[in-house]
Amino acid sequence: MGKKLALAAVAIAVLATGCGGGGTGKSSDGPVKLDFLSLAWQKESVEANKAIVEEWNKANPEIQVTYVQGSWDNVNDQLVTSFEGGDVPDVFHNDSPALAGFASKGYLLDLKDKLPASLRDDIPQAAWDTVTFDDGSGNEGVFGVPFLQESQVIIANKKLLDEAGVRIPTPAEPWTWNEFGEASKKLTKDGTYGVAWPMKSPVNKVLNLALNFGGTFFETSGGKTAVKVGPEEKAVLQRIHDQLHKDKTADPSALGMGTADPLPGFFAGKYAMLPVGVYLRQQVAEQAPDGFEWVTLPPLKGTTSNQGAVSQTLSVPADSKHQEQAVEFISFFLNGKNQARLAKGDWLLPTSQEAASDPSITSPENGWDVATASAKDLVVAPFLKVNGYDEWKSKVATPVLQEFLANKISLDEAAGKLVEEGNQVLERYQR
Amino acid sequence: MTAVATGRHRRGMSRQTRELWVLLLPALVPVLVFSVGPLLYGIGLAFTDAQGGRNRVTGFSGLDNFARLFTDSMFWQSMQVGLIWAVSVTVLQFLAGLGLALLLNERLALRGVARVLALVPWAMPPVVIGLMWRLVYHPDAGIVNSTLGTDINWLADFSWALPAVVLMGVWSGMPQTTVVLLAGLQNVPKELYEAGAIDGAGTWNRFRDITLPQLRPVIVAITSLNFVWNFNQFSLVYVLTQGGPGGRTRLPMLFAYEEAFQCGFFGYAASLGVTIMIVVLGLLGVYLWRQLREAS
Amino acid sequence: MRRISQYAALLLYLVFLAFPLIWMLSTSLKTPQEMASLNPAWIPREPTLANYADAFGEQDLVGAGLRSLIVAVASSFLTVTVALPAAYALARYRGVLKRIALGWVLVSQVFPFILIIIPLFMVMRELDLVNSLTGLVAVHVTFTLPFALWMLQGYVRSVPRELEEAAAVDGAGRMRAIAAVVAPLLAPGVVATLLFSFISSWNEFLFALVVLKDPDVMTLPLTLVRFTGPEGVARLGPLAAASLAATIPSLIFFAIIQRRLRSGLMAGAVKG
Repeated sequence: MGKKLALAAVAIAVLATGCGGGGTGKSSDGPVKLDFLSLAWQKESVEANKAIVEEWNKANPEIQVTYVQGSWDNVNDQLVTSFEGGDVPDVFHNDSPALAGFASKGYLLDLKDKLPASLRDDIPQAAWDTVTFDDGSGNEGVFGVPFLQESQVIIANKKLLDEAGVRIPTPAEPWTWNEFGEASKKLTKDGTYGVAWPMKSPVNKVLNLALNFGGTFFETSGGKTAVKVGPEEKAVLQRIHDQLHKDKTADPSALGMGTADPLPGFFAGKYAMLPVGVYLRQQVAEQAPDGFEWVTLPPLKGTTSNQGAVSQTLSVPADSKHQEQAVEFISFFLNGKNQARLAKGDWLLPTSQEAASDPSITSPENGWDVATASAKDLVVAPFLKVNGYDEWKSKVATPVLQEFLANKISLDEAAGKLVEEGNQVLERYQR
Repeated sequence: MTAVATGRHRRGMSRQTRELWVLLLPALVPVLVFSVGPLLYGIGLAFTDAQGGRNRVTGFSGLDNFARLFTDSMFWQSMQVGLIWAVSVTVLQFLAGLGLALLLNERLALRGVARVLALVPWAMPPVVIGLMWRLVYHPDAGIVNSTLGTDINWLADFSWALPAVVLMGVWSGMPQTTVVLLAGLQNVPKELYEAGAIDGAGTWNRFRDITLPQLRPVIVAITSLNFVWNFNQFSLVYVLTQGGPGGRTRLPMLFAYEEAFQCGFFGYAASLGVTIMIVVLGLLGVYLWRQLREAS
Repeated sequence: MRRISQYAALLLYLVFLAFPLIWMLSTSLKTPQEMASLNPAWIPREPTLANYADAFGEQDLVGAGLRSLIVAVASSFLTVTVALPAAYALARYRGVLKRIALGWVLVSQVFPFILIIIPLFMVMRELDLVNSLTGLVAVHVTFTLPFALWMLQGYVRSVPRELEEAAAVDGAGRMRAIAAVVAPLLAPGVVATLLFSFISSWNEFLFALVVLKDPDVMTLPLTLVRFTGPEGVARLGPLAAASLAATIPSLIFFAIIQRRLRSGLMAGAVKG
């Protein structure tokens, strides 16, 4: 898309208002002003973010950062518009799936050689993998700094578990999927379901869990990516389906729920276990009725303990006018100590290894020890690097998975559709 | 009739034309800059292969986008959903709005308070409306399920999602419709009703033979406007269902949004926009033409 | 008997339309635990004002509300000021220009706004209007104009031409004389248009989202979404409190205007 409109030029002439170009006015002898678009929304997280920004501003009078509040639901529209329109924030908070798309369109700054070694070494390679993308011209670059990750854990009603005599797994000895299946059977009785699978947005979750059995759903050969749904991919799908329709230990009416929606039922004892993202502990802690006992169970194990993960990231747009200063700010914002604060505020896992040993996030209270320990098995989600994944997800995978889990189509039919229609979609991105 | 001219140009502008331009100028400037310009640009995009990307070069592609649209099953699905949605919501809005307007026209106590309360949906920011209705339809804690005693996940159910969303659409559009119809009702001369009563006509006959014909222009106006607004609805439905499940509530605008913002296919999305425009204008044209014929 | 059924029907309607108000009030006074309970009650068992404290404390609700108010008032008055002469022109004159104008009115209402956002944003950037309330007002005015024109030209047409001619007989000061005669008759219609414009601007979200970035220019709808997180989770308590705060001003406005509104719409809707 071009950057100038012929009509805009006419309008300018008509208005004769001697306009200036570019909205980010800065004088060359004042402090450099950076816009930091943050998506923090939990109370503690917003406080932590703002506090860190203030600390920076005090220590760096010549680089002043303005905290701009965004919201998760709308940020990508905002960003696309600002990237295309040319008025970009200097640092923005987002998650890596969005970055994949932005990177391939050339919107982002490659941070590979610009980050200090201390930051680079503090964050494990598996996390860096989540922000390494193709930049649209065949080269790989690092397009963000990952700082928060989410693992899939199980939040369970402790009382019901104890009553059913089920073994409580630990990070050192997690449940296998089989054990999980057995436990749900024991817990399903007297109007209680063993488990509720909130699957309103099923795709990311299923694909991340599929890595437990080595299922990657995509394979790249000869530069072309195609969808594959073999036995490894089908494993997790089959097991969830069985819980729903064969064992009947999972509530089918919970399928269409968003992640937090099963909570009222959970507190009322309608479901004993919820396989959800680790951040949901925050809501559980906040909303649980007095005296409700709950535990965080570590991620399940299939043939491996690996789970796919994406990360929350901070990135710099290619069009930013203060790239160096933006990187400096990011390096401070995401150092070990600060990452621990951010993780605590959002109830997620920090990528920084220094932060991972911070006492504030390794206590047994609210399952922090289990949560933080689960970070070690996270690998990069396989769908992250696939061009066209978003379209595949919304147009093919979401309806197909929803239909399969609702028992409207069989596993083989679902697999067939995922592959056939999926490849049609992907092909458009590989022309 | 010398005060009004036909505004035709003659050598050296006539006074009328000059006046015309003076009157129009303040409106013309913002409209050209902020509306016409972007509109033409948006329409023009439909004939290119524009995609999101910092270094992309956009090329002319003629009618390629339209050809692809024609074979895109999701396009047809969204048009179907859009039509069902627009017709249902418009008709229901009209019927419900008419009922309420008739009631508000009567001499009931606390009329003023009722009139303000009837406008609550209009006063609520659309952002909040969507969030609120999501809670209303919540399978466990929602009002609908607790009142009806059912256990259906309305917004995720393949058959119930669209009706559920239609209900919300009717709810949010009722105030405007009610207000316009009420104004129309109050414009009906009382003498007509009195004459009808003297002739022995009952309530229903009076309604059918006096009220409805008098209201006709108003009805045509508000239903056609509602139809256009409803067909082009976006944010309200997006917040609620994001077009799911399985595309059952993917209105044409949601489809265009997905293509443009989520996939970056601006050219394709623009061709969708142009097509929507043509369809709506076409339907509107047919409707208005028939109404005009019947009126005369 | 008929009265009773009428009251009953009216009550049903009002419950259907106004229940969110009660829901918002009720939710805004609940603790998080109560909100997660399986059987929501209308009256909170343990009312609390913490949500209001959070909502007003964390996000600058009062400031955002004031800014929304300024923008809405400015846009609605500007819209009417700009639209009135143009509507008069369109109603009284004929010709090609009129048809083009009406064509634009239709097309701009029908073409998807979301597709125009990017080119519009670029124009705003060129004119250095990004991140300013002025820019927002300009856009709101532009996009309320079609509807305002449509409404107002209907009202103008309902004013009998003879009145104008009687005033214009002298020739000198013609426009002013016409204005003096026509204006009072248009008052109800103007009020109606003001109302529609005000509400559209007050509730407008998408463009404000794209254009406004600095915390000190945010409008009210933008602050509301801050209470929602990814995948639909939301902090319902503060959200309900803030939503209530966002809804009440419009309702007050309605209450004040509601009488003028009816007579205003009556003329315009018929002739439109």
